[in-house]
Amino acid sequence: MNRRELLRSIALLTGASVVGGEFLLSGCKNPAAGKISFSPAVIDLLNEVAETIIPTTTSPGAKAANVGSFMKIMVTDCYTKEQQDVFVKGISEVDHQAKTQTQKKFMDCSAEERHALLTALEKEAKRFNDERTDKKAPVHYYTMIKQLTLWGFFSSKTGMTETLRHAPVPGRYDGNAPYTKGEKAWAE
Amino acid sequence: MPSVQYDAIVVGSGISGGWAAKELTEKGLNVLLLERGRDLEHIKDYVNANKEAWEFPHRGIMPTQQMLQDYPVLKRDYPLNETVLDMWVKDKESPYTETKPFSWFRGYHVGGRSLLWGRQSYRFNQWDFEANLADGHGVDWPIRYADMAPWYSYVEKFAGIQGSKQGLDVLPDGEFMPAMEMNCVEKDVAEKIKKAFKGSRHMFIGRSANITVPHQDRVNCQYRNRCWRGCPFGGYFSTQSSTLPAAMKTGRLTLRPYSIVTEVLYDKDKQKASGVEVLDALDNKTYTFNAKLIFLCASAFNSTWILMNSATDIWPDGLGSSSGELGHNVMDHHFRLGASGKTDAFSDRYQYGRRPTGIYIPRFRNIYSDKRDYVRGFGYQGGAGRGRGAEIAEFTIGASLKEALSVPADHWGMGVMGFGEMLPYHDNKISLNKNVKDKWGLPVLDMDVEIKENEKKMRQDMMNDAKEMLEAAGLEDVQTYDYGYEVGMGIHEMGTARMGRDPKTSVLNGNNQVWDCKNVFVTDGACMTSASCVNPSLTYMAMTARAADTAVTALKNGTL
Repeated sequence: MNRRELLRSIALLTGASVVGGEFLLSGCKNPAAGKISFSPAVIDLLNEVAETIIPTTTSPGAKAANVGSFMKIMVTDCYTKEQQDVFVKGISEVDHQAKTQTQKKFMDCSAEERHALLTALEKEAKRFNDERTDKKAPVHYYTMIKQLTLWGFFSSKTGMTETLRHAPVPGRYDGNAPYTKGEKAWAE
Repeated sequence: MPSVQYDAIVVGSGISGGWAAKELTEKGLNVLLLERGRDLEHIKDYVNANKEAWEFPHRGIMPTQQMLQDYPVLKRDYPLNETVLDMWVKDKESPYTETKPFSWFRGYHVGGRSLLWGRQSYRFNQWDFEANLADGHGVDWPIRYADMAPWYSYVEKFAGIQGSKQGLDVLPDGEFMPAMEMNCVEKDVAEKIKKAFKGSRHMFIGRSANITVPHQDRVNCQYRNRCWRGCPFGGYFSTQSSTLPAAMKTGRLTLRPYSIVTEVLYDKDKQKASGVEVLDALDNKTYTFNAKLIFLCASAFNSTWILMNSATDIWPDGLGSSSGELGHNVMDHHFRLGASGKTDAFSDRYQYGRRPTGIYIPRFRNIYSDKRDYVRGFGYQGGAGRGRGAEIAEFTIGASLKEALSVPADHWGMGVMGFGEMLPYHDNKISLNKNVKDKWGLPVLDMDVEIKENEKKMRQDMMNDAKEMLEAAGLEDVQTYDYGYEVGMGIHEMGTARMGRDPKTSVLNGNNQVWDCKNVFVTDGACMTSASCVNPSLTYMAMTARAADTAVTALKNGTL
């Protein structure tokens, strides 16, 4: 999968162009990004949110891939100031939503409560993104979190080698290999 | 500084320069190979070659805000990413100006863009060399396909080109290594296109400079498709994997990195070049090197830049400018549009390995009885693949989302992209902009190039024909696309010092010699008289080997 295809598939899944990848489509100029800090507690929270999106099953999930730290790097280095602001505000919004719905912080919610919270956010984000009059304005913070989760997980070592299959040096090409339904996809 | 005498100086170490160095040293000459950038050693300096996605801080594909600021040109298209960042020029150090938008993607290091190229390797056909004469655009090539055919064979055998023989005059066969295979969907589509268009359109594996059997000291392609990062197996042709070791083996090559050639030194009395002046990019001092022969292979625009800066006391616009054509007739290949579709078939088939080439559909427009409202034509590159991720209901998260994203896509996808010929227009030009200087205080180039009506009409066909063919092949949900094209994005800069039959209308003669200075040869993209629609690098290789042969023969005969 080349870069353009990967970005397109994530965009398709999240209903919005991949944040940070707009330059590929529009060549737009971004204002300089600012410095932001992520506390260990924030990274823990992001890991738990990501784990709810991509959980541990028969293979490790997003938390094991430390997707929270990946988000920190990507938001710090690749997002514009405007996008960073939305993301940072979104982090506290997650807890705010959790408190409104369950009277608990996100970290104290059960797996079922977390799942319900994020499913609600899925819908809210879609509505928000669809209703944006300026399509170049930042997407909903949850869309950012989800994009970074999918990307971070499926490009992590565990994601690529334990959830997917990876052949660093294939050695040959077979464009007509048998496939049985359910077999894992190649990581690249 | 004392000057040093060589038999020949080659300026630039990319595809053309590497070939010049190999040919000239193997023919017995002592050669100085000058490269403006740093050295980059085969294998040892391919620092990212064996890294996995998770070993890159941004996983290899997303540029940082810092990169976007530092690389204002590179960011316009796919080249900007952290896996190959050190193989592209730092835009800020080497600026240029744009009267009209032009994307100039450069590689300033030993090996140049031979490390980064797409490796697609096609011969020009007989009509390509006759096109200018036939339709009156530009000037006639001073050579024909028959002049080039033996040199194509010669370079193909050494470089190692995989491909399949098709027996088509429109895309002549070459000396091929065993071909890589099309996948199940591509084979099916190829068969259906052949049937639907009654054998007038063809699709087969893209011919590329990836070796499929061991060759020289090189290991055959391992199907990693990470060529850009430099191949630790030497699986594709580059200066480093192929021509440089051959030149080194002769014991007659001196490689000098960090050497920016500022001008060719012209001896008025002898009416010949005596050497070159070099600005050392590290110590900022000027050095002179003398030689009987100069090969300019600095990439099209930089070879012309050197000519524009040379012998200006005699010709104000530079060496080779007497025809008024130096810097003119810029060409590229216009592309970035086509169509894609998908198929439900072959859901019990998958791919293994990452093939570093796709498919090729050679030109079928304006050939034989086909006649359009524009001249010349285009070919397609593309391929089929089965992506990742099964279809899933909206708002799904958790285990079922993970599960769906862990398996191959339900459909195979197939896409093609057109690559079209751009005509040589006199008013498409580059010139020196003396008001803007680079990091070393040297004047920069200004770009004044655009595509015109002929290309715009052709682009309609490029998009519509793509859709028509994919639909004829039975693909579903076929959509056209146009990412938009800015001249230069093809990274196939051609022209600016074209070959011709008349010194009044061309810069170079039929042997790539500057008409006004016979011991200076230009064999990179600058020499191109027309562009064809096929990727040009193989032609530069053949052209360089041919010119080196002419040069050494003339040198030995005493006629140079």
